[in-house]
Amino acid sequence: MTAPLVASSAGDVLVWVVWVAAAFACVASGVAVISFRNPFYSALALIGNLASLAVLYLLLAAELVAAAQVLVYAGAVVVMFLFVIAYLGGQADAPWAGGPNVQKLASVLASAAILAEIVAALALKAGDRLSRAAQVSSAFGSPRRIGQLFLTDHLLAFEITSVVLLVAAVGGVVLGSHARRVDEGEEG
Amino acid sequence: MAGPDPTWYLALAGFLFTIGALGVLLRRSPLIVLLSLELMLNGANLALIAFARHLGDEDGQVFALAVMAVAASEVVVGLGLIVAMARRRLALDVDEMRSLRG
Amino acid sequence: MIAAAWVALFLPLAAAVAVAVAGQAISRRAAGWLATAAVAGSFVASLIVLAEMLSRSASERSQTSVAWSWLTAGQLNIDLSILVDPLSVLMMLVVSGVGALIVGYSIGYMDGDDEERRFFAYMAFFVFSMLLLVQGGNLLLLLAGWGLVGLSSYLLIGFWHHRPAAVAAAKKAFVMNAFGDATFALSLFLLIQKTGALDYASVFTQAARLSDTVLTLVALGLLGGAVAKSAQLPLHTWLPDAMEGPTPVSALIHAATMVTAGVYLLVRTHPLLELAPEVQDTAAALGTATVLAAGLVALVQTDIKRVIAYSTMSQIGYMFLAAGLGAYAGAMFHLMTHAFFKALMFLAAGVVIHALAGEQDMRRMGGLARLLPKTCAAFLVGSLALVGLPPFAGFFSKDPVVAAALARGGYLGDALFSAALAGVFLTGLYAFRMVFLVFSGEPSPFVRERLHHDHGEGPRVMLGPVGALALLSVAGGWLQARYGEHGWGAVSTWLQPVAEPVVEATAGQEIVVSVLGAASGLAGLAVAWWIYGARRAPAPRPLPALERKLFFDEAYDALFYWPAAATARALYAAVEEPLVAGSIEGISAGVRRLGQATRALQTGLVRTYALVIAASLAVLTVVLVAVR
Repeated sequence: MTAPLVASSAGDVLVWVVWVAAAFACVASGVAVISFRNPFYSALALIGNLASLAVLYLLLAAELVAAAQVLVYAGAVVVMFLFVIAYLGGQADAPWAGGPNVQKLASVLASAAILAEIVAALALKAGDRLSRAAQVSSAFGSPRRIGQLFLTDHLLAFEITSVVLLVAAVGGVVLGSHARRVDEGEEG
Repeated sequence: MAGPDPTWYLALAGFLFTIGALGVLLRRSPLIVLLSLELMLNGANLALIAFARHLGDEDGQVFALAVMAVAASEVVVGLGLIVAMARRRLALDVDEMRSLRG
Repeated sequence: MIAAAWVALFLPLAAAVAVAVAGQAISRRAAGWLATAAVAGSFVASLIVLAEMLSRSASERSQTSVAWSWLTAGQLNIDLSILVDPLSVLMMLVVSGVGALIVGYSIGYMDGDDEERRFFAYMAFFVFSMLLLVQGGNLLLLLAGWGLVGLSSYLLIGFWHHRPAAVAAAKKAFVMNAFGDATFALSLFLLIQKTGALDYASVFTQAARLSDTVLTLVALGLLGGAVAKSAQLPLHTWLPDAMEGPTPVSALIHAATMVTAGVYLLVRTHPLLELAPEVQDTAAALGTATVLAAGLVALVQTDIKRVIAYSTMSQIGYMFLAAGLGAYAGAMFHLMTHAFFKALMFLAAGVVIHALAGEQDMRRMGGLARLLPKTCAAFLVGSLALVGLPPFAGFFSKDPVVAAALARGGYLGDALFSAALAGVFLTGLYAFRMVFLVFSGEPSPFVRERLHHDHGEGPRVMLGPVGALALLSVAGGWLQARYGEHGWGAVSTWLQPVAEPVVEATAGQEIVVSVLGAASGLAGLAVAWWIYGARRAPAPRPLPALERKLFFDEAYDALFYWPAAATARALYAAVEEPLVAGSIEGISAGVRRLGQATRALQTGLVRTYALVIAASLAVLTVVLVAVR
């Protein structure tokens, strides 16, 4: 699937078009995530953001990651968000309400500084070194390769990740059951 | 080279990261703070994958998958905390939780 | 012989440890008898040593026994050893013999006290310390015994620790003695540096090649120790205060142990002192000054025990005079007879105090002769012996001392002789002032009210030692009965091989002194009778200077205490307050202010913390990019 995109110049144009569209969708949905007053909409915007990122991953020859992005992130994580938001109700603070104060001003300044620094670093220091990408085979980023890497070179990271997930699952259960006990205590 | 340079991807990643950071810094709802954190993590993931492509090495993609798993864990714990707060009838506002004030 | 000497040394220590360890397991009375038996056992062992020594020729009587090598440092080697020679045997006999009588007497005197066991443990330990002092085979062991004596005296003077005065007196005794210990120790350091040895033989043989300065310093250090331990001017102020202890303790300190240690030290180290004649003269002069000063102060004291205490100072002054003059046998013999009659006087005074339920003020006493006849007789014997009238012991022991001063000649000798004679007069006066105040006339109202008629003069265990000491005070002097070449002079002959006398009075001088001495004593007695016995003249008003004990306490306060206290206060105000306390408070206040200032940063707002993280990231990125 990636091979034709790498080959022709007509493909190049198409890639650019897809990239620009995906990047625009990505930034727009990102801004939407942090701007909506209702967290429900924010979560929906995050789905769009994740989907546009999946497109970009495909452009970068990362098929498995793109699939996982859609399945795990957009499918599972965000759905969990939506469940919690539905449980708690949809009201939240308005991002820009109350006018500017020190916290908001400083936040914008700090974020802008970080962005400016990233861009400046890319423009000033890294231009040449990033211009030529490595040639990769069509198998690059395939599930087989990733799976092999996970079970050979990165076995330890793989196992530790599983432990982290287990701990998180147990932690979620503990938090939920603890809250229930408090509820009963307060009611009783 | 087909398509945009990694530079473009990296700039986009930085932009995404910055938007997420801004959300974390500005919003008071813990739910949206968590969502913004996801944005930041995805920015980092994009950078990782862009570098993986650039260097022709799938290690970056492996790393991105691990980040995804960790992000899922973080969401579980974060949402568990938020639900526990709601059960205790605490206001869902990070500014209200300031027991650490000196 | 040596085995018996070791037994004599360690029996009292064993008793002290046994009483201390046994605690409640043995009765109070048993503790008293155990201590008495141990000290008496020491006395028996000393007698065995004496007997064996008598069977040897005069030149073979000194013997050193080394238990083991104690300290070795380079050239210096110090053994844990005892020296048995005529001098130490004499001291052992006095210490253990008189000590045994006093400890036995305490069984009666301390009966009913709450902490009798502790008392007897201390008493036995005191005797052990003194025996270690006299038997120690080198100067370091002598110093060890010296320190232990100071410690036990501290414990015993402060025995009634619930009385502030007793505790203060114990501290005073300890501090004054520590001063002497320090000069003593300094002179030992000097000896180690210059001779590399501390055993008597090596030190004495090497002393001759030391420079005059070193010898003078060493002798001065030894004299300082002796002066402090024997309560001579100017370090005497602790002794009268030490009367705060129980009466048997006073008797033990004054008669058998402690204060005699200084005299023993001067005699024991006489080869060193003879090489520093100025120091010897100083010792003699200090002794004579003490004779006079103590005699004068004793005239105005009202506490019966304090009068006896000052008389002890005065008599020890005679011993210092003799030792300073080089009449070592005279010094030691006076030490011995003084042990008899001073113990007798203390114990008899103890009977009086005991009978009057603890009253010690002579002004409230009177007329006790009829009520306590045996005690009165014993006290009278003691006083006559103290004044030195024939045929009592003091006559035989004091006159040779005064005669030695006459025999020395020169201005110093004549001055010392006159002062010593005046001292005899004072002795007669204060001793019989005390006798008449306490015993003559009609019983005072206070006596009639307070006297315990039911228990008479005291239990047999108290009167027995008093009787024995009275006998010794009468007969003890004849040991040394001698005029010139006539008579036998047992003590002089005995000590001849150890301490060759420097001066010897001629027969004519001794007769002159005997007549003059007895006359002065009688004169003092007569004046006392005139004023206090027959009351033919009103008692003169005591001089304030004497009542204030010649201002020694005040002088020490002004010289040492107040400057030290003022310095301490000044240092506290100028250094400790601002620097030590101030710095600590300043640091803590600074930390608190810093905390107050920084707690504003702890907003508790998660977003602020996140902002700080983001801002730090921005700054760090700049730094990283700029550095690369």
